Amino acid sequence: MVAEGLLRDLDAIGCVVEEVPYERKGYWFDVKAQKEKLPELAGAFDQHGYFVEEVVCVDWREELELLYHFNHWDDPRRFSVRTRVKATDPEVPSIWNIYPGAGWHEREIHEFFGVKFKGHPNLSYLFLHPDIDFYPLRKDFVPVTEEDKRVLLGRFPEGDEESFWLNMGPQHPSTHGVLRLLLKMKGEFIEDMEPVLGYMHRMQEKMAEERSYSQYYPNTARMDYVAPLAFSLCYVLALERCCGIEVPERAQFIRLIAMELNRIASHLLWLGTYLLDLGAATPYFFAFDDREQILDILEGLTGSRLTYCYYRIGGVYEDLNEGFLEAVDRFIQRMKRRLKDYDELVTGNAIFLGRTKGIGVIPKEVARRYGVTGPNLRASGVAFDIRVCEPYDGYRFLKPKVALREEGDSFARYLVRLDEIRASLSLLEEAISKVPEGPYRVEKLPKRPPVGDVFFATEGARGEVGVYIVSDGSDKPYRLKWRSPSFSNFVSFTEIGKGMLIADAVATLGSLDLVVPEMDR
Amino acid sequence: MRLWLKRLYRLYFQSDPFKAGLCLLAALTGVSILLGLAWLLGKALWDLGISAWGVDFLRLVLGALWVLLVLFGNALLLVWVERKVAGHMQWRIGPKEVGPFGLLQSIADAVKLMGKELVSPRYVDKPLYLLAPFLIFMPCVVVLLVIPFDPHLQIRDINVGIVLILAFSSLTSIAVFMAGWGSVNKYSLLGGMRSISQQIAYEIPMVLSIVPVVMLSGSLSLKGIVEAQKVPYLLLQPVAFFIYLISAVAEVNRTPFDLPEAESELVAGYHIEYSGMRFAMFFLAEYTNLFIVSALLTTFFLAGYKGPWLPGWAWFFIKTYLVVFVIMWFRWTFPRVRFDQLLNFSWKFLIPLAMLNLVVTGGVLKL
Amino acid sequence: MVEAVGPRVKLGVLEEFLNLARANSLWPMTFGLACCAIEMMATVAARFDLARFGAEVMRPSPRQCDFMIVSGTITKKIAPVVRTLYEQMASPKWVVAYGNCAISGGPFVFEGQYNVIEGVDKVIPVDVYVPGCPPRPEALLEALLKLQEKLTGVRRFPGPERRW
Repeated sequence: MVAEGLLRDLDAIGCVVEEVPYERKGYWFDVKAQKEKLPELAGAFDQHGYFVEEVVCVDWREELELLYHFNHWDDPRRFSVRTRVKATDPEVPSIWNIYPGAGWHEREIHEFFGVKFKGHPNLSYLFLHPDIDFYPLRKDFVPVTEEDKRVLLGRFPEGDEESFWLNMGPQHPSTHGVLRLLLKMKGEFIEDMEPVLGYMHRMQEKMAEERSYSQYYPNTARMDYVAPLAFSLCYVLALERCCGIEVPERAQFIRLIAMELNRIASHLLWLGTYLLDLGAATPYFFAFDDREQILDILEGLTGSRLTYCYYRIGGVYEDLNEGFLEAVDRFIQRMKRRLKDYDELVTGNAIFLGRTKGIGVIPKEVARRYGVTGPNLRASGVAFDIRVCEPYDGYRFLKPKVALREEGDSFARYLVRLDEIRASLSLLEEAISKVPEGPYRVEKLPKRPPVGDVFFATEGARGEVGVYIVSDGSDKPYRLKWRSPSFSNFVSFTEIGKGMLIADAVATLGSLDLVVPEMDR
Repeated sequence: MRLWLKRLYRLYFQSDPFKAGLCLLAALTGVSILLGLAWLLGKALWDLGISAWGVDFLRLVLGALWVLLVLFGNALLLVWVERKVAGHMQWRIGPKEVGPFGLLQSIADAVKLMGKELVSPRYVDKPLYLLAPFLIFMPCVVVLLVIPFDPHLQIRDINVGIVLILAFSSLTSIAVFMAGWGSVNKYSLLGGMRSISQQIAYEIPMVLSIVPVVMLSGSLSLKGIVEAQKVPYLLLQPVAFFIYLISAVAEVNRTPFDLPEAESELVAGYHIEYSGMRFAMFFLAEYTNLFIVSALLTTFFLAGYKGPWLPGWAWFFIKTYLVVFVIMWFRWTFPRVRFDQLLNFSWKFLIPLAMLNLVVTGGVLKL
Repeated sequence: MVEAVGPRVKLGVLEEFLNLARANSLWPMTFGLACCAIEMMATVAARFDLARFGAEVMRPSPRQCDFMIVSGTITKKIAPVVRTLYEQMASPKWVVAYGNCAISGGPFVFEGQYNVIEGVDKVIPVDVYVPGCPPRPEALLEALLKLQEKLTGVRRFPGPERRW
C-alpha cells in the first residue's frame, strides 16, 4: 500500500512517526517534524500522491503548533504532521510551491495567528478587515506589527494598457452569497484574478472558544445553511469519538435518513440556482418546489425548515414522528418521476450542453494539489467518498453508490450531482425499511471530554467536511477548526479560471457549488 | 379598492358632498366648452373649403393617436401577460392581488415608475445618457405607422415599406450602445458592445429571410405582401420562417439571446444606471419591439389580417399575440447562449442557410 | 440608529394615489447575505409566491428597485457596501431587516467579538424588522404587507384584533 512506501521515506528524512488509535483520534499516523524539514516532507507526500486536507494552527501560549493533515485517494489513512514554533518569532517555510492549496490555508493562518511563511508570494489580507489590528485567534492580545501590516496590505490591483480590473462584487445576482472576485480582464477574457473573502466572516472558530460544547452546537447549522446537517453530524460525531460514546443503532439510522434528505435538498437548490445563473428561470421554481417537499418532511421531524438543531451528542433530540417513514416513501416515488422531468428539460437541451460541456475542466493533478473533494472530484474521475472510505455512523450498515464521471467539466459535475440524488434515493429506500427499534439517545453522557485532540471527516453535500477539536478538559473547546469543502474547491478556481470568458467563469463558479459562509467561517 | 377611494374622497372633500358636486359641475362645464370650440373650429375649416386636405390631416392625426394607443396599450397588456405566463409556466400564479386577476398591475407599475427619483450619476456623459431612452423608443413609433392592421387601417402605405422598417429597426442598436457608453460603467459598456455585435450579426439573416417573401409576392409594400398571400407563406417558406423567428428574437434581445441585459452576468447590462421613467422607457421599448417583430412575422408569413368571419384587425391581433406567446415561451424555457456561440450560430449557420434558401427559391420561381 | 430624512415636497392627495401605486408594485432588491437569503429565495419560489403582490421583478441593479431586503449578518467588511447600495437606490426607498442578524447581530454576538455589526440599523435606516432565525417565508410576506400598510395606511388582509 501507499502508506508503507511513504513511511520508509519519512524514516529516511528523519521524523518521528507514531501510529495512533484511529477510533479515538481520527487519524492513523502522527508525524512530529522540525520546521526546517517541512518542504522535504511535503515533497515526499507529493511524490506518493497525497493531498492536503487542511492546515491548522493551535495557540499553546508560548508555542504555536502547526498541523498538516494529508490523505490519499486510494489509501485513505490520514497522516497528521505537527511542528512547533516559538510564539515570539513564528516563522515557517511555506509549501505553497508543492501544494498551492496549502498556500491558501497558510495565508489564512498568517492573518489569524501571525505566523510568517517564508517564501510565500502573497500573504495579504484574505478574510479580515484592515481595521482589526490584532491577531484574532491568539489567546492573548497580540497586536499586528508595523512590518506585518505592510505585508498584509501588500497586494494592490493595478491595470495596464490593454486590460482592466472588473469587480465581480459582493452583491451579485449569481446567488452564491457574498463573494468578491477582482478579475483582470482583456476584453471578455480573464487574465488574472484576486479573490477577496471574509464578507461573511462570523468568527465561528473564536466563538467556539467562548461557548461550551452544547452551547456552540446551533452554530454548526449556520455554517453551511443549505445542508446544515452535515456540519452538525460532523461536530456531534467528533465529540462522540473523543469521549468514546456508543450511539444506539436506531439513532444512527435516523441520522442517516435525515442527512440523505438534506443532501438531496442541497443538490436541488444547487440545480435551481445554477440554471438561474445560466439564464433558464423555470427549473429554479421546479427545484424549489421539490425542495419544499423535503423541508416539509424535515419540519415534521425536527421543527425547523432551514437551520436544524436536531442531532444531539449521543443520538437525536426526539424520536421519529408519526407518518415520517410513509412521507419519505411517498417523496422517494415522486422524486424518481421528477428526475425524469429534469432530464427532459435540462440534460438534453442543446444550449445547456453548449454552455457546460468542456467548460471549467478540473484535471486530477489540479484537484489533488488544491485538495478538491466532493462531487467536483468525483466528476474528474476519482472515486473518493468519505462515506465509503471511512464509514461512520449509519454508513457502516448501508453503503451508498458512488457517482463517477471522467471528463471533469461542468456538465460532468451536473451529471454527478443528479446521480448522487438517485443514489441517495435508493439509499433512503433501503434505510427506511431497515430502521431498527430501540432507544434514540444515549442516557448518560460524560460531563467533559478528555484532554487531547480529535479529527473527524464526513461527506457533506459539497465535499469533505472536517472538524478538528482540541480539548483541555474543560467544558469549552480549546481550539476548534473546521475543514470547509467550499474553501478548497474555490481555490482551485483561481488556477482553472485563467484564460476563460467571463460567461464561462460564471458557469464554472456555479458548478463548483460554493457556499460562502462555510468558506469564511 | 373601494376602501381606498373612499379614503381619498374623504380626505380631499372632507365629506362635503356640496363641494364635490360643485367640482363635478365645473369639470363638466369645462369639457363641454372645449367640445363646443372644437366643433366650431371644424365647421370653420369645412366652410373654408380645405375639405380634402383637412380630411387627410384629420386621418393622420387620428392615425398617430391610434398608434400611440396601440403602443401604450400593448405595453401595459404585455407586462401583465408576461408575468402571468411566466407564473403559470413556473407552477405559480403571477400577480393576483392588484385588481381582478392582477390586471391593474401594469398601471401600478407605470405610476410607480413615474413617481421615482431620476437618479443621474455625476460622472455620466450627459447628452448620450439622457437621449438614449428617447432614441430607443422613437423608431418603434415610425415602424408602427406602416404596419397593416386591417385593409383599411394602415396609417401610411409606403411602397417601400420593408426598407423603411429595416432601416428604422437598426436604430435601436445605436440607442442601446449610447446607453451603454453614456453610463460610465464597465458592465453597461460590456452590455452595449454585446448588443451592437449581436444586432449587426442577426440583421443579415433577417434580411435574407425576407427576400424570398418579397420575391414570391412581387412587392416591397407590406399591404402588397399580405394581399399576395393566397396561402400563408409559412407553408411555402418554412425555412425562412424559422430563420426570421430566430433572428427576430435576437434583434429584440430576448432570451435565449438576452446577453446585453444578462442578469446573472452583467447585473442588468446596459440599463444599470437608469431609474424611474427612463428605465420605464427601456422597458416599454422592449415590449413594443416584441410586438413589432411579431406583427412583422404575421405580416410576412402568416397572412396578416386575412381570415374568415372575423374582421381583419381581430385576426391580425390574434395571430400577433400568438407569436408573442411563443416568443415568451422561449424565454422561460431556454438558458442563455454564450456570446461567441451566438455569433458563430449567426455567421456560420444562419447566413449560409438563408442564402441557400434564397437560391432554391429563386431557382424554383424561375422554373 | 440611523434616521431617514423625510420628503421635502408634499403633494397632498396625489401622494396618496402615488403611494397606492407604489405599494402595489414594490420591487425588492435581493441583498441576500447568509442563511436568511435562502428563505427569501424560497419566498420568491413557487410555493410562497411573492409575485402575487406585485413584488415579482427582482431587479439586481439598485437603481431600479424600491426596497432592500437585508437578509443576513452584517460584518465590518460588508457594511460600506450596504451603505453604498442604499445610497444608490432611487427614492422613495425602504428597507426590511430580515432575520435576527440584521436586527441586532443575531446569534453571533459574544463577548470579544470583533467583526459583526450589531444590527443593520446602525448603517442604514430600517422600516420593517422581521425576527426569526431564519424567519419563515410567511414572515416575509407579512413584512411586505406591513410595508404596504405603512405606505397606504390600510392593512390588506387584516388579522384578528390584538388584545395587548
